[in-house]
Amino acid sequence: MNSEKRQIAVNAALLLTFSLLVVAACLVCGQQLLNPFRLDAETFHTLLGLRLPRIVVALLMGGALGVSGAVLQGIFRSPLADPYILGISSGSSLAVSCGLLFGTSLFSLTAPTLAFCGAIATGALVVVLGRGWKGLQPERLLLAGIGIGFFLSATLMLVMTMSRDDGLKRAFLWMSGDLSMTDWDVVPLGLTFVLAGFALAIARRRGLNALTLGDEVAHSLGFNPSRERLLLFLAASLMTAASVSMGGVVGFIGLVVPHVVRRHVGSDAGIVLPLSVVAGGTLLCFADTVGRTVAAPLELPAGVVAAFIGAPYFIYLLNRKKNA
Amino acid sequence: MPLLEFRDVYFSFGKTEFIREMGFTVEPGELIGLMGPNGAGKSTLLKLAAGILTPRSGQVMIENREARSYSGKERAQRLAYLPQMLDMHAPFRVGELVRMGEYSYNQKHHFTIDEALCLVGLTDKSAAFLADLSGGEQRRAYIAMTLVQGGRLLLLDEPLANLDLRYQMELIRLLRRICSENGISVLLSLHDITLGGQLDRVIMVKNGGLIAEGHPAIVLTDEMIRIAYDLDLVDLPRPIAAYGQFIQHVMC
Repeated sequence: MNSEKRQIAVNAALLLTFSLLVVAACLVCGQQLLNPFRLDAETFHTLLGLRLPRIVVALLMGGALGVSGAVLQGIFRSPLADPYILGISSGSSLAVSCGLLFGTSLFSLTAPTLAFCGAIATGALVVVLGRGWKGLQPERLLLAGIGIGFFLSATLMLVMTMSRDDGLKRAFLWMSGDLSMTDWDVVPLGLTFVLAGFALAIARRRGLNALTLGDEVAHSLGFNPSRERLLLFLAASLMTAASVSMGGVVGFIGLVVPHVVRRHVGSDAGIVLPLSVVAGGTLLCFADTVGRTVAAPLELPAGVVAAFIGAPYFIYLLNRKKNA
Repeated sequence: MPLLEFRDVYFSFGKTEFIREMGFTVEPGELIGLMGPNGAGKSTLLKLAAGILTPRSGQVMIENREARSYSGKERAQRLAYLPQMLDMHAPFRVGELVRMGEYSYNQKHHFTIDEALCLVGLTDKSAAFLADLSGGEQRRAYIAMTLVQGGRLLLLDEPLANLDLRYQMELIRLLRRICSENGISVLLSLHDITLGGQLDRVIMVKNGGLIAEGHPAIVLTDEMIRIAYDLDLVDLPRPIAAYGQFIQHVMC
């Protein structure tokens, strides 16, 4: 093993260890500090019934967003691409908000289902509008996503101004990435689509690496750039849809996590994608724990806390790169 | 058997004709230059050969089989193409980039990653980021990737563009060595007439058509350059003669 590979392996092992410690800490920390070695019935219920589902959902959501960001940054060859710039989250938010604002009674799984359908429909629309005579071109796809995203955001604002007050707060919490209402019910559907999207992205990791070099080089390496881009976009859409359907809109993780991971282990998608799951999941899990602890009994939305934690670190990384 | 053959190829987009009645072959081990003025169709020819574009009529044959009948992987095992505008800031280390050549899974590849890096003189740069290399080294890193890919034909679109004289000559020497020692053929587009004189064969194109083909001494004559570039040689600056002698001296 040469020194370059050894360094990557060490960094990956450190990240995994750190993540395990953070998740363990998230289990015991909260409004009430729990002792996992003295489990009474109440502690057991708090751990398994309240904290564990939140942690599992946060890990799934953050992991899905981290991988989606890595995939989208690769296929668009843009360091600014993330699941939210492409309108997918706007479509999802609009669908859920319409349900929350105008629905009289929503079953527990209605909101996730609406979110998922909204995200998938928006992703499909972006692909249809982003298709040119040369197939799926990154610039065209990106512009289509941004345009649709703006349109859907404007529609969402319009819908919110026409809404009732009680639905408005729930819709607002949904768009801030609030995990306080999550439970085990959302996990099976979310887990299924996160796994499906991740498996597809991992299977196309070589195509993702090749697309990073440009369509013509990818073609020379034996790939069909349009086909690879479509499959990877589908994978990212599935994971984003699953994430939004489980706990609402969480920004920033899809943007920052791939940059942080690449900074430590290089850019090979075969390494970046799995570690983006770990890093994204850990960041959101940590953000959610901070959000439910620092201002208890008030809970801050995990999406807001993730941005407060991630943004300074992102700026620090940029400055370190500039000074290197 | 020719590695590449154009048979009466015609290509247009809309009403604009890009390539007309084009026919030539590339034999194993040849270093061939595609020359001609801007807009002559050099890049289009290379993209047709690489399978990125499909001819409206005529045939592009790779190893005596029509190019469009190959799957992407089969084609990648036979030829590699590098466009003029390569992403020199791709976020990969040199070793990671060169390893991508293995994606075609060619069992008959000529070079391992280490051998390709050694051949292009980047053995000690495997862990360096592509963006941290000089322009010449970046080109050579991409060429190492195509060597690992294992095809017998390299198609290079203006690989000498934006390189200084030293890097241009290093690259031509490297390509010459790849052709003569490994039986790989290289078809490259270029503008420098003097460097064109160092190749095995030159194909001169203008307005999408072939106007001359053969040994540089036969094609790169004053008369042919005047026809191809609509240029009177008395317009050329005087130092070019001394530059030509210098290049010949160094390359020999």
